[in-house]
Amino acid sequence: MDFAFIVVLVVLLALVFDFTNGFHDTANAMATPIATGAMKPKVAVTVAAVLNLVGAFLSTEVARTVSGGIVREGEGGVQISPEMIFAGLIGAITWNLITWLRGLPSSSSHALFGGLIGAAVVGIGTQSIDFAVVLSKVILPALLAPVIAGTVAFAATKLAYAITRRSAGPNERGGFRTGQIFTSSLVALAHGTNDAQKTMGVITLVLIAGGFQAVGSGPQFWVIAVCALAIALGTYMGGWRIIRTMGSGLTEVKPAQGFAAEASTASTILASSHLGFALSTTQVASGSVIGSGLGRRGSSVRWNMVGKITVGWLLTLPAAAAVGGVAALIARLGPAGVIIDAFLGLAVIVFIYVWSRRHQVGAGNAIEIDQAGRAVRGRKATAKARKARQNA
Amino acid sequence: MIDWMAFLIVAGASLLAACLVSALFALGVRLLAVGTEYDDEGRKVSVTGIRPQAATVAGSICFGLCGLAVLFGVYLIVPALHGG
Repeated sequence: MDFAFIVVLVVLLALVFDFTNGFHDTANAMATPIATGAMKPKVAVTVAAVLNLVGAFLSTEVARTVSGGIVREGEGGVQISPEMIFAGLIGAITWNLITWLRGLPSSSSHALFGGLIGAAVVGIGTQSIDFAVVLSKVILPALLAPVIAGTVAFAATKLAYAITRRSAGPNERGGFRTGQIFTSSLVALAHGTNDAQKTMGVITLVLIAGGFQAVGSGPQFWVIAVCALAIALGTYMGGWRIIRTMGSGLTEVKPAQGFAAEASTASTILASSHLGFALSTTQVASGSVIGSGLGRRGSSVRWNMVGKITVGWLLTLPAAAAVGGVAALIARLGPAGVIIDAFLGLAVIVFIYVWSRRHQVGAGNAIEIDQAGRAVRGRKATAKARKARQNA
Repeated sequence: MIDWMAFLIVAGASLLAACLVSALFALGVRLLAVGTEYDDEGRKVSVTGIRPQAATVAGSICFGLCGLAVLFGVYLIVPALHGG
Protein backbone atom coordinates (compact mmCIF):
# COMPACT_ATOMS: atom_id res chain seq x y z
CA MET A 1 0.00 0.00 0.00
CA ASP A 2 1.07 3.53 -0.57
CA PHE A 3 2.96 4.38 2.56
CA ALA A 4 2.25 8.08 2.38
CA PHE A 5 -1.47 7.31 2.32
CA ILE A 6 -1.45 5.45 5.64
CA VAL A 7 0.69 8.16 7.21
CA VAL A 8 -1.83 10.80 6.16
CA LEU A 9 -4.65 8.66 7.56
CA VAL A 10 -2.86 8.26 10.89
CA VAL A 11 -2.16 12.00 11.14
CA LEU A 12 -5.84 12.79 10.49
CA LEU A 13 -7.03 10.18 12.98
CA ALA A 14 -4.54 11.43 15.58
CA LEU A 15 -6.03 14.90 15.21
CA VAL A 16 -9.53 13.49 15.69
CA PHE A 17 -8.26 11.84 18.86
CA ASP A 18 -6.74 15.15 19.96
CA PHE A 19 -10.11 16.81 19.42
CA THR A 20 -11.95 14.20 21.52
CA ASN A 21 -9.23 14.57 24.15
CA GLY A 22 -10.02 18.29 24.29
CA PHE A 23 -13.76 18.06 24.76
CA HIS A 24 -13.46 15.09 27.06
CA ASP A 25 -11.27 17.04 29.45
CA THR A 26 -12.89 20.48 29.47
CA ALA A 27 -14.76 19.33 32.55
CA ASN A 28 -11.58 18.75 34.58
CA ALA A 29 -10.88 22.44 34.72
CA MET A 30 -14.22 24.09 34.08
CA ALA A 31 -16.99 21.95 35.60
CA THR A 32 -16.78 23.48 39.08
CA PRO A 33 -16.55 27.18 38.07
CA ILE A 34 -19.49 26.63 35.72
CA ALA A 35 -21.44 24.89 38.50
CA THR A 36 -20.96 27.73 40.98
CA GLY A 37 -21.54 30.48 38.45
CA ALA A 38 -17.95 31.75 38.79
CA MET A 39 -17.80 31.83 35.01
CA LYS A 40 -20.55 31.68 32.43
CA PRO A 41 -20.42 28.35 30.56
CA LYS A 42 -19.36 29.86 27.23
CA VAL A 43 -16.75 32.08 28.86
CA ALA A 44 -15.35 29.12 30.79
CA VAL A 45 -14.88 26.92 27.72
CA THR A 46 -13.36 29.83 25.79
CA VAL A 47 -10.82 30.47 28.55
CA ALA A 48 -10.00 26.77 28.73
CA ALA A 49 -9.63 26.57 24.93
CA VAL A 50 -7.26 29.55 24.80
CA LEU A 51 -5.17 28.17 27.67
CA ASN A 52 -4.99 24.77 25.99
CA LEU A 53 -3.91 26.42 22.75
CA VAL A 54 -1.19 28.40 24.53
CA GLY A 55 -0.19 25.43 26.66
CA ALA A 56 0.38 23.21 23.63
CA PHE A 57 3.11 25.53 22.37
CA LEU A 58 4.93 25.65 25.68
CA SER A 59 6.61 22.29 25.79
CA THR A 60 7.50 19.22 23.75
CA GLU A 61 8.99 17.27 26.62
CA VAL A 62 6.21 14.70 26.84
CA ALA A 63 5.92 14.38 23.05
CA ARG A 64 9.53 13.26 22.85
CA THR A 65 9.03 10.44 25.31
CA VAL A 66 5.53 9.32 24.42
CA SER A 67 6.65 6.39 22.31
CA GLY A 68 8.98 4.98 24.95
CA GLY A 69 7.92 2.69 27.74
CA ILE A 70 4.85 0.59 27.33
CA VAL A 71 5.39 -0.80 23.85
CA ARG A 72 8.81 -2.40 23.57
CA GLU A 73 10.61 -1.19 20.52
CA GLY A 74 14.02 -0.37 19.20
CA GLU A 75 16.89 -2.78 18.69
CA GLY A 76 16.03 -6.44 19.15
CA GLY A 77 12.50 -5.35 19.89
CA VAL A 78 9.59 -4.88 17.58
CA GLN A 79 8.73 -2.33 14.99
CA ILE A 80 5.42 -0.65 15.66
CA SER A 81 3.88 -0.01 12.27
CA PRO A 82 1.68 2.91 11.21
CA GLU A 83 -1.16 0.41 10.71
CA MET A 84 -0.97 -0.52 14.38
CA ILE A 85 -0.98 3.09 15.51
CA PHE A 86 -3.95 3.60 13.21
CA ALA A 87 -5.82 0.70 14.81
CA GLY A 88 -4.88 1.88 18.29
CA LEU A 89 -6.23 5.36 17.59
CA ILE A 90 -9.54 3.90 16.39
CA GLY A 91 -9.80 2.09 19.73
CA ALA A 92 -8.99 5.22 21.71
CA ILE A 93 -11.41 7.46 19.81
CA THR A 94 -14.23 4.94 20.01
CA TRP A 95 -13.87 4.58 23.77
CA ASN A 96 -13.59 8.35 24.26
CA LEU A 97 -16.83 8.88 22.36
CA ILE A 98 -18.68 6.13 24.21
CA THR A 99 -17.67 7.50 27.61
CA TRP A 100 -18.60 11.00 26.48
CA LEU A 101 -22.03 9.79 25.40
CA ARG A 102 -22.49 8.29 28.87
CA GLY A 103 -21.16 11.48 30.47
CA LEU A 104 -18.31 9.66 32.14
CA PRO A 105 -15.04 11.46 32.83
CA SER A 106 -12.40 8.93 31.81
CA SER A 107 -8.74 9.30 31.06
CA SER A 108 -7.97 9.95 27.38
CA SER A 109 -4.39 8.81 27.95
CA HIS A 110 -5.59 5.46 29.23
CA ALA A 111 -7.80 5.12 26.16
CA LEU A 112 -4.81 5.88 23.96
CA PHE A 113 -2.56 3.42 25.82
CA GLY A 114 -5.30 0.82 25.73
CA GLY A 115 -5.86 1.19 22.01
CA LEU A 116 -2.15 0.96 21.25
CA ILE A 117 -1.71 -2.02 23.56
CA GLY A 118 -4.60 -3.88 21.90
CA ALA A 119 -3.24 -3.18 18.44
CA ALA A 120 0.28 -4.23 19.46
CA VAL A 121 -0.93 -7.48 21.03
CA VAL A 122 -2.82 -8.44 17.87
CA GLY A 123 -0.16 -7.18 15.50
CA ILE A 124 2.91 -8.50 17.27
CA GLY A 125 1.88 -10.67 20.19
CA THR A 126 1.69 -10.41 23.95
CA GLN A 127 5.46 -10.34 24.25
CA SER A 128 5.35 -6.80 22.84
CA ILE A 129 3.76 -5.51 26.02
CA ASP A 130 5.63 -4.89 29.22
CA PHE A 131 2.86 -5.75 31.65
CA ALA A 132 4.91 -4.75 34.68
CA VAL A 133 5.20 -1.26 33.20
CA VAL A 134 1.47 -1.19 32.43
CA LEU A 135 0.74 -2.10 36.05
CA SER A 136 3.13 0.38 37.63
CA LYS A 137 2.59 3.27 35.20
CA VAL A 138 -1.07 2.95 34.34
CA ILE A 139 -3.14 0.75 36.62
CA LEU A 140 -1.77 1.56 40.07
CA PRO A 141 -1.57 5.32 39.48
CA ALA A 142 -5.19 5.13 38.28
CA LEU A 143 -6.19 3.68 41.65
CA LEU A 144 -4.02 6.07 43.64
CA ALA A 145 -4.87 9.32 41.81
CA PRO A 146 -8.44 9.73 43.06
CA VAL A 147 -7.38 8.67 46.56
CA ILE A 148 -4.65 11.32 46.81
CA ALA A 149 -6.74 14.04 45.18
CA GLY A 150 -9.80 13.12 47.22
CA THR A 151 -7.92 13.26 50.51
CA VAL A 152 -6.25 16.56 49.60
CA ALA A 153 -9.54 18.13 48.51
CA PHE A 154 -11.30 16.85 51.62
CA ALA A 155 -8.71 18.50 53.87
CA ALA A 156 -8.62 21.74 51.85
CA THR A 157 -12.42 22.02 51.86
CA LYS A 158 -12.66 21.38 55.61
CA LEU A 159 -10.02 24.04 56.17
CA ALA A 160 -11.66 26.62 53.91
CA TYR A 161 -15.03 26.17 55.61
CA ALA A 162 -13.59 26.17 59.11
CA ILE A 163 -11.79 29.45 58.51
CA THR A 164 -14.73 31.24 56.94
CA ARG A 165 -17.32 30.05 59.46
CA ARG A 166 -18.84 32.96 61.39
CA SER A 167 -20.63 32.82 64.67
CA ALA A 168 -23.08 35.56 63.74
CA GLY A 169 -24.61 36.38 60.42
CA PRO A 170 -24.32 34.44 57.22
CA ASN A 171 -20.95 33.15 56.08
CA GLU A 172 -19.71 35.13 53.13
CA ARG A 173 -18.14 32.74 50.72
CA GLY A 174 -19.04 34.30 47.38
CA GLY A 175 -15.49 35.65 47.14
CA PHE A 176 -14.28 32.17 46.38
CA ARG A 177 -15.86 32.51 42.94
CA THR A 178 -13.11 34.93 41.91
CA GLY A 179 -10.48 32.53 43.20
CA GLN A 180 -12.02 29.69 41.22
CA ILE A 181 -11.28 31.50 37.97
CA PHE A 182 -7.56 31.37 38.74
CA THR A 183 -7.30 27.83 40.06
CA SER A 184 -9.33 26.34 37.21
CA SER A 185 -7.34 28.32 34.63
CA LEU A 186 -4.19 26.82 36.08
CA VAL A 187 -5.64 23.34 35.59
CA ALA A 188 -6.54 24.18 31.97
CA LEU A 189 -3.03 25.45 31.23
CA ALA A 190 -1.43 22.38 32.77
CA HIS A 191 -3.74 20.23 30.66
CA GLY A 192 -2.70 22.04 27.49
CA THR A 193 1.00 21.54 28.12
CA ASN A 194 0.46 17.84 28.73
CA ASP A 195 -2.28 16.38 26.60
CA ALA A 196 -1.74 17.96 23.19
CA GLN A 197 1.78 16.57 23.35
CA LYS A 198 0.55 12.99 23.39
CA THR A 199 -0.91 13.48 19.93
CA MET A 200 2.21 15.32 18.79
CA GLY A 201 4.21 12.34 19.99
CA VAL A 202 2.03 9.88 18.07
CA ILE A 203 2.19 11.92 14.85
CA THR A 204 5.94 12.34 15.18
CA LEU A 205 6.30 8.61 15.77
CA VAL A 206 4.46 7.90 12.53
CA LEU A 207 6.42 10.48 10.58
CA ILE A 208 9.65 8.94 11.82
CA ALA A 209 8.42 5.42 11.04
CA GLY A 210 7.47 6.63 7.56
CA GLY A 211 10.92 8.07 7.02
CA PHE A 212 9.61 11.62 6.70
CA GLN A 213 11.57 12.78 9.69
CA ALA A 214 14.94 12.00 11.24
CA VAL A 215 14.99 9.41 14.04
CA GLY A 216 15.14 11.02 17.46
CA SER A 217 14.01 14.46 16.32
CA GLY A 218 11.22 16.33 18.08
CA PRO A 219 7.84 17.30 16.66
CA GLN A 220 7.87 19.70 13.72
CA PHE A 221 6.26 23.09 14.03
CA TRP A 222 3.25 22.33 11.85
CA VAL A 223 2.56 19.24 13.97
CA ILE A 224 2.62 21.34 17.14
CA ALA A 225 0.36 23.93 15.55
CA VAL A 226 -2.33 21.56 14.25
CA CYS A 227 -2.34 19.59 17.52
CA ALA A 228 -2.74 22.79 19.50
CA LEU A 229 -5.63 23.88 17.27
CA ALA A 230 -7.35 20.49 17.43
CA ILE A 231 -7.26 20.28 21.23
CA ALA A 232 -8.32 23.92 21.61
CA LEU A 233 -11.25 23.42 19.24
CA GLY A 234 -12.26 20.27 21.12
CA THR A 235 -12.04 22.09 24.43
CA TYR A 236 -14.17 24.93 23.08
CA MET A 237 -16.86 22.51 21.94
CA GLY A 238 -17.01 21.45 25.57
CA GLY A 239 -17.97 17.94 26.59
CA TRP A 240 -21.14 19.23 28.23
CA ARG A 241 -22.28 15.77 29.26
CA ILE A 242 -19.10 15.28 31.26
CA ILE A 243 -19.26 18.83 32.60
CA ARG A 244 -22.74 18.00 33.88
CA THR A 245 -21.44 14.88 35.64
CA MET A 246 -18.46 16.60 37.22
CA GLY A 247 -20.29 19.84 38.07
CA SER A 248 -23.52 18.48 39.44
CA GLY A 249 -23.68 14.70 39.03
CA LEU A 250 -21.16 13.75 41.70
CA THR A 251 -22.11 16.30 44.31
CA GLU A 252 -23.51 19.80 44.49
CA VAL A 253 -20.62 22.25 44.24
CA LYS A 254 -20.48 25.52 46.23
CA PRO A 255 -17.91 28.28 45.62
CA ALA A 256 -15.54 27.59 48.54
CA GLN A 257 -15.76 23.89 47.85
CA GLY A 258 -15.14 24.39 44.13
CA PHE A 259 -12.14 26.55 44.93
CA ALA A 260 -10.71 23.91 47.25
CA ALA A 261 -11.36 21.19 44.66
CA GLU A 262 -9.61 23.05 41.85
CA ALA A 263 -6.73 24.09 44.12
CA SER A 264 -6.30 20.41 45.00
CA THR A 265 -6.46 19.35 41.36
CA ALA A 266 -3.86 21.94 40.37
CA SER A 267 -1.55 21.09 43.29
CA THR A 268 -1.78 17.36 42.74
CA ILE A 269 -1.19 17.57 38.98
CA LEU A 270 1.75 19.95 39.36
CA ALA A 271 3.27 17.90 42.16
CA SER A 272 2.85 14.67 40.19
CA SER A 273 4.40 16.05 37.01
CA HIS A 274 7.34 17.63 38.84
CA LEU A 275 8.09 15.07 41.52
CA GLY A 276 8.00 12.08 39.23
CA PHE A 277 4.80 10.19 39.80
CA ALA A 278 2.57 10.70 36.79
CA LEU A 279 -1.16 10.85 37.47
CA SER A 280 -4.12 11.24 35.13
CA THR A 281 -5.67 14.72 35.13
CA THR A 282 -9.16 13.30 34.77
CA GLN A 283 -8.81 10.96 37.71
CA VAL A 284 -7.27 13.65 39.88
CA ALA A 285 -10.03 16.12 39.02
CA SER A 286 -12.81 13.60 39.69
CA GLY A 287 -11.19 12.60 42.98
CA SER A 288 -10.99 16.25 44.01
CA VAL A 289 -14.67 16.89 43.35
CA ILE A 290 -15.64 13.80 45.36
CA GLY A 291 -13.27 14.72 48.21
CA SER A 292 -14.57 18.27 48.36
CA GLY A 293 -18.12 16.96 48.43
CA LEU A 294 -17.25 14.82 51.45
CA GLY A 295 -15.53 17.78 53.09
CA ARG A 296 -18.40 20.25 52.96
CA ARG A 297 -20.86 19.88 55.77
CA GLY A 298 -24.38 19.25 54.54
CA SER A 299 -23.40 18.07 51.10
CA SER A 300 -23.77 14.55 49.85
CA VAL A 301 -21.86 12.51 47.32
CA ARG A 302 -23.87 10.47 44.84
CA TRP A 303 -22.12 7.16 45.24
CA ASN A 304 -23.95 5.42 42.41
CA MET A 305 -22.45 8.01 40.04
CA VAL A 306 -19.04 7.41 41.62
CA GLY A 307 -19.59 3.70 41.00
CA LYS A 308 -20.44 4.27 37.33
CA ILE A 309 -17.32 6.37 36.84
CA THR A 310 -15.15 3.77 38.55
CA VAL A 311 -16.50 1.06 36.27
CA GLY A 312 -15.74 3.35 33.32
CA TRP A 313 -12.15 3.70 34.51
CA LEU A 314 -11.70 -0.01 34.97
CA LEU A 315 -13.08 -0.66 31.50
CA THR A 316 -11.11 2.08 29.71
CA LEU A 317 -7.91 0.13 29.14
CA PRO A 318 -9.39 -3.27 28.22
CA ALA A 319 -12.23 -1.80 26.15
CA ALA A 320 -9.98 0.50 24.12
CA ALA A 321 -7.57 -2.42 23.77
CA ALA A 322 -10.35 -4.68 22.49
CA VAL A 323 -11.46 -2.18 19.86
CA GLY A 324 -7.85 -1.45 18.94
CA GLY A 325 -7.20 -5.19 18.66
CA VAL A 326 -10.17 -5.81 16.39
CA ALA A 327 -9.16 -2.85 14.22
CA ALA A 328 -5.62 -4.24 14.03
CA LEU A 329 -7.02 -7.62 13.04
CA ILE A 330 -8.97 -6.05 10.18
CA ALA A 331 -5.97 -3.93 9.19
CA ARG A 332 -4.00 -7.14 8.69
CA LEU A 333 -6.04 -7.79 5.57
CA GLY A 334 -3.83 -5.22 3.89
CA PRO A 335 -4.83 -1.95 2.22
CA ALA A 336 -8.45 -3.05 2.00
CA GLY A 337 -8.43 -3.74 5.74
CA VAL A 338 -7.17 -0.27 6.54
CA ILE A 339 -9.88 1.25 4.37
CA ILE A 340 -12.53 -0.93 6.04
CA ASP A 341 -11.16 0.26 9.41
CA ALA A 342 -11.34 3.88 8.33
CA PHE A 343 -14.97 3.48 7.25
CA LEU A 344 -15.92 1.59 10.41
CA GLY A 345 -14.27 4.29 12.50
CA LEU A 346 -16.12 6.99 10.60
CA ALA A 347 -19.37 5.06 11.00
CA VAL A 348 -18.86 4.86 14.77
CA ILE A 349 -18.20 8.61 14.99
CA VAL A 350 -21.27 9.47 12.90
CA PHE A 351 -23.47 6.98 14.77
CA ILE A 352 -22.48 8.29 18.20
CA TYR A 353 -22.92 11.86 17.03
CA VAL A 354 -26.41 11.17 15.69
CA TRP A 355 -27.26 9.24 18.85
CA SER A 356 -26.09 12.16 21.00
CA ARG A 357 -28.44 14.54 19.16
CA ARG A 358 -31.43 12.72 20.61
CA HIS A 359 -30.74 14.15 24.05
CA GLN A 360 -28.69 17.21 23.49
CA VAL A 361 -26.63 18.61 26.32
CA GLY A 362 -25.12 22.01 25.67
CA ALA A 363 -23.92 25.17 27.34
CA GLY A 364 -27.50 26.11 28.18
CA ASN A 365 -28.67 23.03 30.00
CA ALA A 366 -25.52 21.33 31.27
CA ILE A 367 -25.82 22.53 34.85
CA GLU A 368 -28.36 24.46 36.81
CA ILE A 369 -26.20 27.20 38.10
CA ASP A 370 -25.91 27.97 41.77
CA GLN A 371 -26.81 31.60 41.00
CA ALA A 372 -30.45 30.61 41.38
CA GLY A 373 -29.80 29.67 44.99
CA ARG A 374 -28.74 33.19 45.76
CA ALA A 375 -31.93 34.67 44.39
CA VAL A 376 -34.10 32.58 46.66
CA ARG A 377 -35.32 34.26 49.82
CA GLY A 378 -34.47 32.88 53.21
CA ARG A 379 -37.14 31.66 55.61
CA LYS A 380 -37.39 34.91 57.56
CA ALA A 381 -37.54 37.02 54.42
CA THR A 382 -40.31 34.83 53.03
CA ALA A 383 -42.32 35.17 56.23
CA LYS A 384 -41.90 38.93 56.16
CA ALA A 385 -42.93 39.18 52.54
CA ARG A 386 -46.03 37.12 53.27
CA LYS A 387 -46.94 39.39 56.14
CA ALA A 388 -46.45 42.43 53.97
CA ARG A 389 -48.79 40.94 51.36
CA GLN A 390 -51.45 40.22 53.95
CA ASN A 391 -51.28 43.72 55.34
CA ALA A 392 -51.58 45.30 51.94
CA MET B 1 7.75 -1.98 41.06
CA ILE B 2 6.06 1.13 42.22
CA ASP B 3 7.97 4.04 43.64
CA TRP B 4 6.17 4.47 46.96
CA MET B 5 8.58 7.14 48.11
CA ALA B 6 7.76 9.30 45.07
CA PHE B 7 4.10 8.63 45.70
CA LEU B 8 4.32 9.80 49.30
CA ILE B 9 6.26 12.91 48.31
CA VAL B 10 3.66 13.80 45.69
CA ALA B 11 0.82 13.18 48.15
CA GLY B 12 2.51 15.29 50.84
CA ALA B 13 3.37 18.15 48.51
CA SER B 14 -0.15 18.24 47.06
CA LEU B 15 -1.70 18.24 50.50
CA LEU B 16 0.54 21.01 51.73
CA ALA B 17 0.11 23.22 48.66
CA ALA B 18 -3.67 22.83 48.37
CA CYS B 19 -4.26 23.40 52.08
CA LEU B 20 -1.97 26.42 52.13
CA VAL B 21 -3.69 28.10 49.20
CA SER B 22 -7.18 27.26 50.44
CA ALA B 23 -6.38 28.47 53.94
CA LEU B 24 -4.88 31.73 52.69
CA PHE B 25 -7.79 32.47 50.39
CA ALA B 26 -10.28 31.57 53.12
CA LEU B 27 -8.46 33.81 55.55
CA GLY B 28 -8.61 36.63 53.01
CA VAL B 29 -12.34 36.14 52.52
CA ARG B 30 -12.91 35.96 56.26
CA LEU B 31 -10.82 39.04 57.04
CA LEU B 32 -12.63 41.16 54.47
CA ALA B 33 -15.91 40.06 56.03
CA VAL B 34 -14.85 41.48 59.41
CA GLY B 35 -17.12 44.27 60.51
CA THR B 36 -19.95 43.55 58.10
CA GLU B 37 -23.23 43.42 59.91
CA TYR B 38 -26.53 41.98 58.99
CA ASP B 39 -30.14 42.67 59.86
CA ASP B 40 -32.63 39.97 60.84
CA GLU B 41 -33.25 39.02 57.27
CA GLY B 42 -29.61 38.35 56.54
CA ARG B 43 -29.24 41.47 54.41
CA LYS B 44 -25.96 43.30 54.55
CA VAL B 45 -26.30 46.51 56.57
CA SER B 46 -22.91 48.07 55.99
CA VAL B 47 -19.56 47.10 54.65
CA THR B 48 -17.30 50.09 54.77
CA GLY B 49 -16.31 52.19 57.72
CA ILE B 50 -16.66 49.40 60.24
CA ARG B 51 -13.91 47.11 59.04
CA PRO B 52 -10.62 47.92 60.78
CA GLN B 53 -7.85 48.91 58.41
CA ALA B 54 -5.67 46.11 59.75
CA ALA B 55 -8.20 43.53 58.55
CA THR B 56 -8.28 45.09 55.09
CA VAL B 57 -4.49 45.05 54.85
CA ALA B 58 -4.12 41.51 56.21
CA GLY B 59 -6.86 40.26 53.89
CA SER B 60 -5.20 41.85 50.90
CA ILE B 61 -1.88 40.25 51.86
CA CYS B 62 -3.60 36.86 51.95
CA PHE B 63 -4.97 37.36 48.45
CA GLY B 64 -1.57 38.60 47.30
CA LEU B 65 0.08 35.42 48.57
CA CYS B 66 -2.54 33.36 46.73
CA GLY B 67 -1.66 35.30 43.59
CA LEU B 68 1.99 34.40 44.13
CA ALA B 69 1.02 30.74 44.49
CA VAL B 70 -0.79 30.91 41.13
CA LEU B 71 2.28 32.53 39.55
CA PHE B 72 4.43 29.76 41.00
CA GLY B 73 2.04 27.29 39.39
CA VAL B 74 2.52 29.02 36.02
CA TYR B 75 6.28 28.91 36.59
CA LEU B 76 6.08 25.16 37.15
CA ILE B 77 3.90 24.62 34.09
CA VAL B 78 6.01 26.58 31.61
CA PRO B 79 9.25 24.66 31.03
CA ALA B 80 11.00 27.70 29.53
CA LEU B 81 10.81 29.36 32.95
CA HIS B 82 12.44 26.65 34.99
CA GLY B 83 14.88 25.44 32.39
CA GLY B 84 13.13 22.10 31.78
